[in-house]
Amino acid sequence: MSEQLKTQIDRVLDDPGAKAVASLYAQSYMTSAQQSGVEDACGELESFVTEVLGKSPEFRSLLFSDSLSREDKLGLISRVLTPNCSEYFSNFLKVLVHHGRIDLVDQVQKEAVLVQEQLSGQRRVQIRTSKPLSESSRSQITDQLKNKLGFDPILQESVDESLIGGLIIQVGDTVYDSSLRTRLKTLAGRLTERTLNEIQSGRDRFSHPEGN
Amino acid sequence: MKFKADEIASVIQKEIEDFRGQIQTAEVGRVIEVGDGIARCTGLSSSMAGEMVEFPGGVRGLAFNLEENSVGVVILGDYLKIKEGDEVKSTGTLLSVPVGDALLGRVVDPLGNPMDGKGPIMSSESRPVEHEAVGVAGRQPVKVPLQTGIKAVDAMTPIGRGQRELIIGDRKTGKTAVAIDTILNQKGTGVKCVYVACGQRSASIAGVVEVLRQHGALDYTIVVASSSADPAPMQYIAPYSGAAMAEHFMYNGEDTLIVYDDLSKQAIAYRQLSLLMRRPPGREAFPGDVFYCHSRLLERAVKLSDELGGGSMTALPIIETLEGEVSAYIPTNVISITDGQIYLEPDLFWKGIRPAINVGISVSRVGGNAQTKAMKKIAGSLRLDLAAFRELEAFAQLGTELDAATQQQLDRGYRMVELLKQPQYQPLHAADQVMVIYAGAKGYFDKVPVPEVQEAERALLEFMKTEHSDVRDKLIEKAELSAEIEDGLKAALTAFIARRASAS
Repeated sequence: MSEQLKTQIDRVLDDPGAKAVASLYAQSYMTSAQQSGVEDACGELESFVTEVLGKSPEFRSLLFSDSLSREDKLGLISRVLTPNCSEYFSNFLKVLVHHGRIDLVDQVQKEAVLVQEQLSGQRRVQIRTSKPLSESSRSQITDQLKNKLGFDPILQESVDESLIGGLIIQVGDTVYDSSLRTRLKTLAGRLTERTLNEIQSGRDRFSHPEGN
Repeated sequence: MKFKADEIASVIQKEIEDFRGQIQTAEVGRVIEVGDGIARCTGLSSSMAGEMVEFPGGVRGLAFNLEENSVGVVILGDYLKIKEGDEVKSTGTLLSVPVGDALLGRVVDPLGNPMDGKGPIMSSESRPVEHEAVGVAGRQPVKVPLQTGIKAVDAMTPIGRGQRELIIGDRKTGKTAVAIDTILNQKGTGVKCVYVACGQRSASIAGVVEVLRQHGALDYTIVVASSSADPAPMQYIAPYSGAAMAEHFMYNGEDTLIVYDDLSKQAIAYRQLSLLMRRPPGREAFPGDVFYCHSRLLERAVKLSDELGGGSMTALPIIETLEGEVSAYIPTNVISITDGQIYLEPDLFWKGIRPAINVGISVSRVGGNAQTKAMKKIAGSLRLDLAAFRELEAFAQLGTELDAATQQQLDRGYRMVELLKQPQYQPLHAADQVMVIYAGAKGYFDKVPVPEVQEAERALLEFMKTEHSDVRDKLIEKAELSAEIEDGLKAALTAFIARRASAS
């Protein structure tokens, strides 16, 4: 057999439960850093994930493994990381270990980026267009969104030719759809409805007035 | 008539010119997992319980479970086309179905889509599937009869307009037959009917539709069909859709009759959905709110007050029991919700007593007020007489010597049982029922041998229609057994019996 049989299919999306937990940790991490005046807390977390966990997978599996006791993990962090990072960050890692949530650190990092953007008045906006955006229209959209929504948008662009024209803007869960595809679809629906009504009225002329 | 291309082009052009594409705003989420007719979605953060959502490809769903991090959606359609990661759009509307006169005579699925190949349903109106029942002030007591055309029912467990009468019994005891006869008997009375088939075999649904069509009953009937092959969500919402369709007529001041065939299958579909949604199972693994599922449905059957137009919705829910077990969960629930039940028994059915109604334990809690005066007068003692007869019959089987009075009571009892038998699809007019039961109860059939009673009944009805139509007409007109009408009836019956005696 060329391909190994999988017992579980690959997930397309994150587990919403884990995501919610990670988001809570990220929120606490960032706000408390802001309150106690810790600088670049997000950058430190990011460098930990990419430089330490990313470059030494053995350390990663050691930290995430269940075979190591909580105390051993805490000791490991104190010996290896505490001398090289801020006290605030090492405390945060210890909290994660203490709560048995250290395996969520990657997701916490992703969420922390979002939280930081939010704290600095920015939000992500997904924009789908039929053609790549030109520089002028990009700045135009940014200005418009800033005026309308009251925050600094970070545009995440993607190109989808099936839209034909126009664009779809998504902020959080809300979608503003002004694409030509959707408009044509609506128009088609209205035209059919109209035609059906015409057919019906035509049919009624010949049928018995009582019942059909 | 020929099409004029220019004309059509200009119409389309005008339509396009008028069309100002507004930006569509919607809330979206993504499917995390899908299977067995349900989907779990993230996002949709402000969706409402019972809100309709849309999957790609136009498949609709119903927000069923609102959880902390996800929304459980039941899929109304083909769930095999939906994949993990698909976008789900909230629509901001509740699930609704088309309603109106255009649906009469049609067979539709629980979403109101036609299934009978008679073309699209042209209806501009729609109603939400889930709708709150009318409150206390909007109702009035049940007092107008809904004639089922079945002697045993109309005489002993009468049904009024706005009543909820349960039809309960084992498999193959004629539950659907009672309901269908009732629909057939509404011909010409202006009562609009809805037959909701829920979890039935497609063949039986087709059979019912064919019977309705043959007897001309489809003209005033809507059939909402969800067969056992349909996904559980469809079976679950079918009764609510049917109720919405009937409510439309009811709020327009019309009388309606709705048959839910059957609610035990709907409860099973609901159990499947709830278990898949991981709601905790209760007794018989049904979810805790299966009672509410039925009570809110049956509470929608009502006789509206005159201020609201005085329309009514009579509900005939059907429950199938296993081995006569009425104390199972769903039967007890529905018995306690309804205003009485018609209990059908396999033993009676196989004895040839059809409809196999056990008159001893069948009751109607409110229908008595709705009986016509004539029927009330003659049927008053019928139930007690039959109960006394059953007791005597059991006693007589011991082979004891009986005195003449007891023997006579027994003989009359046998004849009354014969008289209450009725072939399928032959509902009787209320006046005919009164005449037949009067004749039986007053002993006019005492001389007729038991096997000939049914034949004599037919002959009597024929005789009354052809030779004494004045009595019958008066009975229909007055709907009460006044002294004058009773005298006329007595004279006619004596003449009939005399003629039968001389003929033999």
